[in-house]
Amino acid sequence: MIKTVDLEKIFVVRDQVVRAVDGITTHITPGEVVVVIGPSGSGKSTYLRCLNGLETLTAGHVHIDGVDLANRKTDMNKVRREVGMVFQQFNLFPHKTVLENLVLAQMKVRKRSRKEAEIKGRALLEKVGIPEKEANYPSQLSGGQQQRVAIARALAMDPKVMLFDEPTSALDPEMVGEVLEVMKQLAREGMTMVVVTHEMGFAREVADRVLFMDYGKLVEEGTPEHFFTEPKEERAKLFLRQVL
Amino acid sequence: MVLLSIVAGLWIATKRIDYTWRWERIPQYFAYHSEDVKTINFDGHVTKIDKKGDLTTVTVKNDIGGETSSFVIDTKTANVSVDEYLMEGDTVGSTREWKAGPLAHGLWVTLWISAVASVIGLVIGVVTGLCRVSQNLTLRQLSITYIEIIRGTPLLVQLFIFYFFLGTVLNIGRLPSGIGALGIFAGAYVAEIIRAGIQSIPKGQMEAARSLGMNVPKAMVYIILPQAFKRTLPPLAGQFISLIKDSSLVSVIAITDLTKSGREVITSTFAVFEIWFVVAFLYLILTFTLSQVVAWVERRLAVSD
Ligand SMILES: Nc1ncnc2c1ncn2[C@@H]1O[C@H](COP(=O)(O)OP(=O)(O)OP(=O)(O)O)[C@@H](O)[C@H]1O
Ligand SMILES: [Mg+2]
Repeated sequence: MIKTVDLEKIFVVRDQVVRAVDGITTHITPGEVVVVIGPSGSGKSTYLRCLNGLETLTAGHVHIDGVDLANRKTDMNKVRREVGMVFQQFNLFPHKTVLENLVLAQMKVRKRSRKEAEIKGRALLEKVGIPEKEANYPSQLSGGQQQRVAIARALAMDPKVMLFDEPTSALDPEMVGEVLEVMKQLAREGMTMVVVTHEMGFAREVADRVLFMDYGKLVEEGTPEHFFTEPKEERAKLFLRQVL
Repeated sequence: MVLLSIVAGLWIATKRIDYTWRWERIPQYFAYHSEDVKTINFDGHVTKIDKKGDLTTVTVKNDIGGETSSFVIDTKTANVSVDEYLMEGDTVGSTREWKAGPLAHGLWVTLWISAVASVIGLVIGVVTGLCRVSQNLTLRQLSITYIEIIRGTPLLVQLFIFYFFLGTVLNIGRLPSGIGALGIFAGAYVAEIIRAGIQSIPKGQMEAARSLGMNVPKAMVYIILPQAFKRTLPPLAGQFISLIKDSSLVSVIAITDLTKSGREVITSTFAVFEIWFVVAFLYLILTFTLSQVVAWVERRLAVSD
């Protein structure tokens, strides 16, 4: 489903070279839930953003369903329809109602009729548990509700993969649960997911595989049982001691 | 209180210079009753007088050719009777109607010149603003050059260049040159406002739009520009209010706008003070109306806050 080969992303800011992602090779299979963890600044967000082409690759390849994002001829917009993304800051469209947020891209990108798009949008709002908010504007919703709308908005495009970049980090603690619940349900339904998170509980419970990143490198990878109980690498042990 | 004392002070000051105010002469320059006298250009007989309320139709038959002509006149002014003989040049009657005076005409010219120039300015501004934030270096530098040139030279000079140079070279009239100059002038300022508006939208909005598969133009049209427009409404309104006021400069290339009409009326009335006060007041009405409309739009858009 997603294959990254020697993926590299280097930022150069005023002669400062930051190797944000430094040679990552993995293979994510359909239906798999992969959780990416690591210290702050280790390149998790950058890695995720490379997977849907929000960052241009410095070197290496990302194959999504066999399509190579490093190939200049690849139509990024086509790829991005198949890859949903949920951001830490929700990034809902503040000038549109909740339902419009879900409908817009369906109509403009997937070329669905308004009726079809609204039916789909309402069904998804039902699914994430806030059907009654469809006529509200994002600013009138709580953080947890906004993030659930953002998830619904991504799902409305019928993506094959969902990327989550710290979806609960900007939320008040009492709202984290409702968002994680939606994500767990998605995982149970067999959605392929790549999740950057600091929620170790979620990683333990839902992940099929954990990737541990540090300084842009993939330091350790394995099942949650393996990673949380007997990590091999010193840096992973150190990190776990700090967060657990 | 403060206002009152200022007005009182002005009144005393004008008393001292012995100026006779003649406000009563102003209204006729807005609208006046004009009399249109109908005369005949042949010798003939009145064959029919058809009274219908305030209007009367008089039919006259030419004595030589035999053909008939009809005249519609006000009943009150009808001073002929059936079978009366009329000579060439005689009056059948007259009609009276309201005609717009020079001030009303000038106001109208100012209004539509400003409106057309605003639309041009908005279109140029949005396009240039988009170029200004585009990835393309050539587009960016072109737009910066345009903005710098327009903002760095006086509008009056631009008007002269447009009228005397471009007007002659491209053979366009004074109205198109005036409107064009105003629109291009406003466009440079609008472009900077739009640029600031676009850049004030968080980067996440563009990323969210793109991650849904929208291309850059779609993301701009549906996501970025609507939000930027909402944020830039107050400065844009200020710009268009400036444009209305700046449009008074087109009077130097002999376009009969409100300011020029005012000057013309003064040459025939010598009511210098009154006319300039009235002209100022008319500009104020235009700008105030615009700012009220914008405030209303702003309130409408504020529902999503
Ligand atoms: N647009 C950018 N320009 C320059 N440097 C960047 C940019 N984006 C990220 N970086 C740098 O790349 C490195 C990795 O950043 P990234 O955001 O991927 O880390 P992260 O693991 O997501 O951290 P966090 O847990 O804090 O979100 C950091 O050193 C960061 O400063
Ligand atoms: Mg991050």
